[in-house]
Amino acid sequence: MALIGDLKSFNIVDILQIISKDKKSGILLVEWKDMTVVYYIKEGQVIFARPVDRVFRVYAQRDFDLLIEKLRISKENLFRTVERFLIERLHMKEGVFSFTPGFVKFGSNHYRIVYTMEKIIMMASRTLTPEEVERKISDELLVFEPVEGTQGLVESAELTPQEKKVLSLVNGERSVFDIRRDSGLDNLTVDRSLYGLLAIGAIRRKRKEKKQNPSIALDLLMKIIDRIRGL
Amino acid sequence: MRVVRKIKIVISGPFAAGKTQFINTISEIQTVRTERKVFNPEERGVKEYTTVAMDFGKIRIDEEHELYLFGTPGQSRFDFMWEILGEGALGIIVLVDSTDPTTFHEARKIVNFFQSRFPVPIVIGANKQDLPNAWSPQEVSIALDISEEEGIPVLPVSAVNKESVKQVLLALLEIIRQELTSQG
Repeated sequence: MALIGDLKSFNIVDILQIISKDKKSGILLVEWKDMTVVYYIKEGQVIFARPVDRVFRVYAQRDFDLLIEKLRISKENLFRTVERFLIERLHMKEGVFSFTPGFVKFGSNHYRIVYTMEKIIMMASRTLTPEEVERKISDELLVFEPVEGTQGLVESAELTPQEKKVLSLVNGERSVFDIRRDSGLDNLTVDRSLYGLLAIGAIRRKRKEKKQNPSIALDLLMKIIDRIRGL
Repeated sequence: MRVVRKIKIVISGPFAAGKTQFINTISEIQTVRTERKVFNPEERGVKEYTTVAMDFGKIRIDEEHELYLFGTPGQSRFDFMWEILGEGALGIIVLVDSTDPTTFHEARKIVNFFQSRFPVPIVIGANKQDLPNAWSPQEVSIALDISEEEGIPVLPVSAVNKESVKQVLLALLEIIRQELTSQG
């Protein structure tokens, strides 16, 4: 099933987060304002990008190795297409995307990846507008905590010194307000960093501790459950 | 005169997520609606009428108890109603239109709103799963940044299907049951 959306309301960080989380493989097609580009994704990594004039051509070629052979692109240089047709476009805000999982048959060969998904997500996060950032960092009382075992992700994201500082301040206790204050950085830099770190999975929202016990007796609750089952 | 005790569950979610339909499908009474014509051109393209105060459905449990389902308005300009309706709720169901990613961020904000004010169980219904371009519950979950540790299940639902609506309600009630039994 294809995932379809508009970059105006669901930006490139958001869609890359979905693809990266489950290490999906498939084709991400973005109809940018000036051109349509197809991105080939293998196990959550963007390995190749190419503009297309007619979309049906994408679906005519399923064998990836055969495709790059036809296009005369060496596996070593695949990353340059990612650089040109994705990295240079991360600041663009208008476009319609569709992600079709599966579909392409990749060879067993390794493809050189210079721009890891985590790195791309962080680069894209640095271009987010205040309005985009506000969609996720919507409340300065939000509290985040680091996710254990994500050191590898963080390393491959190649964080800036500012992002590293923000990450070091995320401890499950400090709110967004506290991190903004304690980092000494401007709010937008902090919020962009949090947005990106959330997207790569290095941090997550801290679960609220339940303080209120359910205000209902167990026998009544069981009666409700039985009643709903019987409807 | 016998006093009937009311138990409340709130159905929330962004504009056009399917809240009114959800209540309609399960309620034993004709849903009480407070709808007005939509004038915002963008919203009007989606539907002609929208809830402005609340929807209200009811399921009779026994002689002394009734389960009330309150549907909130979807637009954040009516968030004062979310606060009013959330008070005293046993649990909250947030519906998301799985075919419309433009509403996902709004859905997350609604979850945040209820989480910060009402520490009661929440489940998310990834609605419109019967439509061809629906995102899967797992994808909706990632898009909403719902981590496993947050304890908010994202369930598939089609609000037009009674069995499907029942499953979401039962999932919420099951979480409440677990919380009650864990208290000893």
